[in-house]
This record gives sequence, structure tokens and C-alpha cells, in this order.
Amino acid sequence: MMRALVMVLGALVAIGAQASGNADKGKQKASQVCVACHGADGNKPSAPDQPVLAGQYYDYLVRALSDYKNGRRTNPIMKGFAAQLSKQDIEDVAAWFSSQTSSPLHNQR
Amino acid sequence: MSQPILASLAAAVLALGGQTAFAQNKAGEDVPHPGTENFHAQCIGCHGIPGYKTAFPEVYHVPMIAGQQPGYIIAALKAYKSGDRSHPSMRGIAASLSEEQMQKLADYYGRAAK
Repeated sequence: MMRALVMVLGALVAIGAQASGNADKGKQKASQVCVACHGADGNKPSAPDQPVLAGQYYDYLVRALSDYKNGRRTNPIMKGFAAQLSKQDIEDVAAWFSSQTSSPLHNQR
Repeated sequence: MSQPILASLAAAVLALGGQTAFAQNKAGEDVPHPGTENFHAQCIGCHGIPGYKTAFPEVYHVPMIAGQQPGYIIAALKAYKSGDRSHPSMRGIAASLSEEQMQKLADYYGRAAK
């Protein structure tokens, strides 16, 4: 019983964590907007001060892009790119980058 | 020349090289650079827990920083310090870091490839 309950809870958590964006549409958008600096899969930053996006958390990416767009996070370059993205685009590209498994990012150190 | 002596020599040469030097403990494990241990303890409190989420002011996953580009980690810390990026905890922590400490922490996390 306990085990079943844990499994059900686990499934619910997994559903809750699932991206609501469309990764396929995000891939397309990323190939137009993000690719030059971050690489097509978000794993090839073109400069040392640009982040790896591949494998990063979906909700963090949505948050970061939204903050660039609304000016809460200040960066002249990202402000211009985020301005080109709708709320849906932001969710789509976040779904695309977060679903990339080839990434050096992890959360243990 | 024996293997351990060679290894020590190599480590010494790397250490003299400065920023890219690895910090290692006696067991040869990769450890935070001297002088940044306390900050590292603060980092892992949120960034070292798989799936950990922020509680304030909004709920979302704390980003993964291990394996991230060191240059980006430094840029992010500077942006928190200057106020270009806002997050209450990160602002407070970044404000207390010197540029040298930022570089050391960024180097440590950037090297943490999977």
C-alpha cells in the first residue's frame, strides 16, 4: 500500500514537473533566435560568458526568459532576443532546451 | 621518478599557473579553492539538491550550475551583485563575494562535468 502510494505521488510529481511548452516548435524557434549564441541544442555557447542551456530546468528557463522580456533581469543582448519571443515561444524554447539530454549540467557537486 | 612524485610536481606546476589550478585534498579529490569553502557550503544548500525549488518570491527550480561555463557563472554573480539580476538570496550572497572569490567558485563549479 505504502509503495503504491509512493508510486502515485511520484507520478503526480512527474506530471507536475512536465514542460507545458512544445519542444518541436521550440526547436524551430531556437534555430532562428537562439542558435547563433547558444547552439542549436543549447550546448554550444559561442562565448565564455554565455550559458549552457541544454538540460537546464524548464521552469528556470521560462523564468529567465520572462525576466529578460519584462526587464526584471537586465542584459542588453538578451533583452532584444527575449522581446522577439511570445509567452508561448518562451515555453516552447524552454521545453526544447530542457529536454536535451546531452549536457554537462548537473546538480551535484 | 615515482608516480606520486610526478603527480605532485605536475600539481605544483599547475598551482603556479594560477587560476586554472585545481584545488585538491590529500585524497586527491577535487575540492573548493581555499578561502571559498564557506561560500561553497552556501551554494550547495540550494544548487546541490536535485530538483530543489525556490520558495521565495516565486517557485521554480533552482538552476543547475555544476558543469556550467565559468564565465557565465561569474557574469551571473556580478549581475546579482550590481542589481541587474534580482533574487533576494542570490543578491545577498553575491554582494559578499569578491571578484577573486567569484572566479574561484566559478572555476570549481565549471569543472564539475558529469
